[in-house]
Parts: sequence; structure tokens; C-alpha cells
Amino acid sequence: MINLLVLPLLIPLVTAALLIFLPKSIRVQRAVSVVSAIGTLAASIVLLLTVKDNGIQTVNVGSWDAPFGITLVSDTLSALLVTTSSLITLSVILYSFRSIGEARERFYYYPIVQFLLVGVNGAFTTGDIFNLFVFFEVMLMASYVLIVIGGTKIQLRESIKYILVNVISSALFVIAVAMLYSVVGSLNMADISQRIAQIGSLPILTVIAVLFLIVFGLKGAIFPLYFWLPGSYYAPPVPVLALFGSLLTKVGVYSILRSYSLFFYHDQAFTHELLGILAIITIIVGCIGAIAYWDVKKIIIYNIIIAVGVLTFGISVATEESYMGTVFYTIHDMIVKAALFLLIGVMIKITGTNDLRKMGGLMKKYPLLGWTFLVAAFALAGIPPLSGFVGKLLIVRGGLAEGAYVGSLIVLLSSLVVLYSVIKIFMNGFWKAPKDYPGEENQPVLSLWAPGALLVLASILYGVGAEVMYPIISQATDALVHPAIYIDAVLKE
Amino acid sequence: MLVIAMQVSLVLITIAMLGFIYRLIKGPTVPDRIVALDAIGINLVAMIAVLSMLFRTYVFLDVILLLGILSFIGTTAFSKFLEKGEIIENDRNH
Amino acid sequence: MKTNDVILQTTSKVVFFIIILFAIHLFFAGHYHPGGGFVGGLMTSGALVLLLLAFDIKTVAKGFPIDYKILIGIGLLFAIGTAAGALVFNVPFFTHVFGDVYLPIFGETSLHTAMLFDLGVYLVVIGVTMTIIQTIGESE
Repeated sequence: MINLLVLPLLIPLVTAALLIFLPKSIRVQRAVSVVSAIGTLAASIVLLLTVKDNGIQTVNVGSWDAPFGITLVSDTLSALLVTTSSLITLSVILYSFRSIGEARERFYYYPIVQFLLVGVNGAFTTGDIFNLFVFFEVMLMASYVLIVIGGTKIQLRESIKYILVNVISSALFVIAVAMLYSVVGSLNMADISQRIAQIGSLPILTVIAVLFLIVFGLKGAIFPLYFWLPGSYYAPPVPVLALFGSLLTKVGVYSILRSYSLFFYHDQAFTHELLGILAIITIIVGCIGAIAYWDVKKIIIYNIIIAVGVLTFGISVATEESYMGTVFYTIHDMIVKAALFLLIGVMIKITGTNDLRKMGGLMKKYPLLGWTFLVAAFALAGIPPLSGFVGKLLIVRGGLAEGAYVGSLIVLLSSLVVLYSVIKIFMNGFWKAPKDYPGEENQPVLSLWAPGALLVLASILYGVGAEVMYPIISQATDALVHPAIYIDAVLKE
Repeated sequence: MLVIAMQVSLVLITIAMLGFIYRLIKGPTVPDRIVALDAIGINLVAMIAVLSMLFRTYVFLDVILLLGILSFIGTTAFSKFLEKGEIIENDRNH
Repeated sequence: MKTNDVILQTTSKVVFFIIILFAIHLFFAGHYHPGGGFVGGLMTSGALVLLLLAFDIKTVAKGFPIDYKILIGIGLLFAIGTAAGALVFNVPFFTHVFGDVYLPIFGETSLHTAMLFDLGVYLVVIGVTMTIIQTIGESE
């Protein structure tokens, strides 16, 4: 079946179109969404196995040949990311049943989530730079709806900012693509890479590289461009927040990783140096935020920024080891961030507040929740043998080997801050003296906990099974380190 | 000869458009502005017609029709807003 | 204040069909010339907006009992279905087929599955624009 890699896009798209017909029957919507999310996950796992055994899969959409038409490319990296995002979407949908509220469910919540998955999976899969823009837009349109759906006051206020920032960055994206096209005369990513290698490092290419960094940095929230993220992500309800925090920023990071490893690897002294400096400042800013706040949502949101910093630092070092660490850490971070958001969502549901100082003593009544949260927290901080450890170790080792001592040290220190910030949630939320919360008996704690636990389980398996994952990850890294592999697979020379 | 006439008419239409734009910005009342907007639409249609004669092509004819329809709907909407204060009513006999 | 809209209403009834015809022309012209589903859809919704202006939402809803949100779904399914049809024949996604067919009245006509895709776009555009206009145009 040559169209295998289209299935993770096609299944959610068809589901979304079908769900538009039944806005009022919530039960059907839930059932169809879950079945389709499981189908997407299954398709992406099959895709991952196929890519692992048979190498990079490509489809020339509409039978137009490679450099001219749009090509969808699924290498190991994109197949891994597609699988992870499908898994996360499945658990977020499961979580939404008991938490998102009927009003939102009636207002096309499930179809929009499916559209978001189409955009995210498409951005991971596409091999055409303009098509990447199109999938970014699909993803952003869906996220505009998700951020405003429900229409509370804070959501309306933050959605204006969010839309403004993203419309501007989309415009910049088109400008950057147009500039790149005017220089190299191609939109196919493999072809662009080949042509840039031929013309060598023109100064204009460095300018374009920085422009792309600005565009993807706005989506991925690196240092000077992260300003919109804490406010906007704070507004929507927890399941939406989990989707945004784990998927949207990672699409930005993936785009930086792809473009900086495939196109702009000629003038590393400038572009990668800049990326490295920005990454370090991003980590520091994230750390300050994560320590400063007493609001559980805010703490985890600032942890997103720290993770983005660590990942971009891994990209900026640009050796095989650091790329491997980046890939490892991206997948780990997607899973664990989603899990943490879902778990703090349960805490907020029980206590009815975001403020840590008003929480306490949850351990007594909800030990299962507490221990799951602790495992997720340790995984986030990177304590062995959990999944964060391997990725961070590889990134730091890569950094030290390249002589980036300051960056490596800051990545290591940031782990301590991350640990402190999540343990702060644990100590204040679960330890301390138990309190009474009005209406806590009515909360469906177990069914809210289960999706989060599913993700924590996936994270544990991912960490313990690092040995099994290693060949897959190193296969994914190969295509990053040697662009020729990617180019040959797409252009089939 | 005809070509020169067409070029002159293009210049004249442009000058007329400038006048309308002045009225659009300055126009003391809203109806002034709406009339100016409608006239700009008609001028655009005239301009494209002259241009398609100059270039000896038929492909602009669709554009003329499109612009005509859009400017008609636009002017209707504006005038209705002026007269009734709302553009789309829920139920007229109410 | 009761106003008299006889002229507007009478012209709208006539102009509506002219615009619809033009929209259909644009839709089919899109095959080889400028035009296509998107512009055709926009023109059609323009015609519907004209009716909304001349009459009111209730009357138009009586004439066209369509839920525009459902129209989005139908259009999407059309578009996706055309694209996904390639999966059945195991050719790359989105591959279209075309051929010249002799039709009774039109004579030699070239038929293309891309037109079905365009029909989907057409329906989606009508659905989206009319949903937007009805939501922000209503007074209450």
C-alpha cells in the first residue's frame, strides 16, 4: 500500500468531516472520536514499523513527480512524532469526556480536535516547504477555535493576542518561503537542500535562515518570541492546554530541527551560534518563571519554555549525538508534558483552584494520583531510568564534546530547577495538611486520572525501553546528520 | 487614433477616481462616502473595460461582471444600513 | 418604521438568478481558465447575501431550508472522497483521472475528477461564508 503515510492525516480528516453532521449527539461524537483516534494511532504505528524496515516512505501527491509536485515524506523522525501526537490526542480525547463540559462538546469540540491532529500530523509528514505552511495554517485555525471555544472572559481576551501573534508570524512565514524560493527556485525540501549545497553559503541564505528562525521561534516559543505563550496558554481549559503545550510548540521545534539540519547547515558559525545563545536564554527565562509562580498551570507552562530551550540547544550543537538527544527528548517531552497537564487538571478539578497555596493533603484521599504525578515529575526532571534522562544525557554529552560548556551546564542546572518546580507542586499539593474542598466527591477522579496514567505508562515504557528505541532513534538521527539520505529517498536518484 | 483615445480616457478615469477618493476621505456625511465608493466601483469597471480593449483580450470580462456584482451588493448593503440601521434582519414582519 | 422595498425586492429576485448563472459559469470555467470552486462559491454566497438583504433570514430560510454547517461537512466529504478515491486504486493520494467523453447535448466534453473535488470546495466555501455572515449579520 503506497498511501500508508497518508492514513494518519486522512483518518482524522474524514472523522472531522463526519462529526460536523452530528453536533447534537454527544455520545456518537465521543465514540467516533475515540475509534478514529485509535485508528490513527494504529495506522501511525504500522507506518513507523514500515519506515523502520523499508526506509523512508514518500508519496508524490497527485502523481506529480518529486521536485515539482507536493511530496509527503515519512522518515523515522516524522513517523515517531506522528505516532506520539496520535497517542497524545487519543488520551486527551479520553480525558475530555468528563472534563470539557457539554456546552463545548456541542460546539464542535471533537471535530476541531481532529482538525488539529490533521494539521500537526501533516506538518510532521510534509516534504514541501509551502505545504508545511498550509498545514501550519490548518493547525492554527483549529487552535484559534480551541482557544476561544466556551467564550469565557479570559479566553476572549487572550485569543485576540494569540490570533494577532500567529497571523503576523504566518505572514512572515510566507515572506520567508518566498525569499527562499527566489534564491533557490524550488519548494521541495529535498530539492532546496540539494540546491543550497550547490550554490554554497550566500549571505542572503543566512538572512533567510534567521527569518525562518523567527517564524518557527514564534510558534515554538524561543526566547524573545515566547512572550505570548504564558498568557495565551493559560486561558483555555486543561485538555486544550495539554494539546497545545505538547503538540503545537513541538511542531515549531520540529520545523527548526528540519530546516536547520536539512537547509541551513552551511553557515553554522553564525546561525547555529545564534540559535544556541537564544536557547540558553530561553532556558533561563523559563526557569525564572517556573520558580516564581504559585499557580500550577503557570509552573507547567513555564516548563514548556524550558524544554523548548533544551531542545533548541540540542539542535544548535548539531552533532550526531546531540541530534539523537534532541529526538529522544522531543518525544519524551511531548508525552510527559501532556501527562503532567492532564494530572494537574485532575488536581484543579478536585480542589477547584489553581493556586498551590490553597491546595494540600491530596495524598491521603488520592494516593494513586499522587504517585502517578510523582513519576511524571521525576520523568520530566530526567531522573534515571525514566525517559527524560537519556535525552538530556545525550544533549549534554554532545554539547560538552563540542565545547559548549556554558550551555551544557545550564541544561544540567535547569534540570534541578525543573525538579524543584514540580516537587513544589507535589509537596504543596499532595503533602501538607488535608483540606476540605467543596464538591470534591462529585468529581470523576478515576476516569480523569486514567488518560494521564496511560501517558505516564507510555513514558515509563519509553524510558525503560530506551534500549529497544535506540536503533529507531539512531535511524531517525541518520537522516538528520546526512541530508543525502533524505534527498535520495525523495528524489529517487 | 483609437489607442490614443483609450489612453486619454484611462488618464481621465484616473483623475475622476482621485476626486472620488477625496470625497471618500473628506465626505462630510456617510451618504457622500457611499456614493463615492459606488462610483469608484463603476470607474474600476470602466477602467478594466478600456484596458481589455487596449490589450485586445477577453479574459478581463469575467472580472468586470464580478466587480459589477460585488459593488452592487456592497452599495445595497450600505444603503440598507443607512435606511434601517441593520443589514440583515431576522424577521421583517415583526 | 415600515419601509417600502418593492424595487429592491423585485430586482433582487431577477438579479439573484443572473448571479447564480454567473457563479456556475465561473465554476465550470475554472477547469481551463481563471475561476473554479472557490470563486464560484463566493459568488453564490454573494447571491444569497443579496436575498438576505432584500428579504430577511426567516424568508430566505423558508426558500432554502439548508443548514450551512451541514453543507461544510458535505463539501469536505466530497473533496476528501475524491482525493481518497486514489487509495482504492493504489495510486498516489490525490491522483485524478480525466477523459474526453461524448455527451448528448454538449458534444465532445472533457471530464475530470478534479471537478468533483472542486464541487467539494464550492460547497465548503458557501457553507463557511454563509455561516460567518449569518452569525455576524444577525441583529440579536
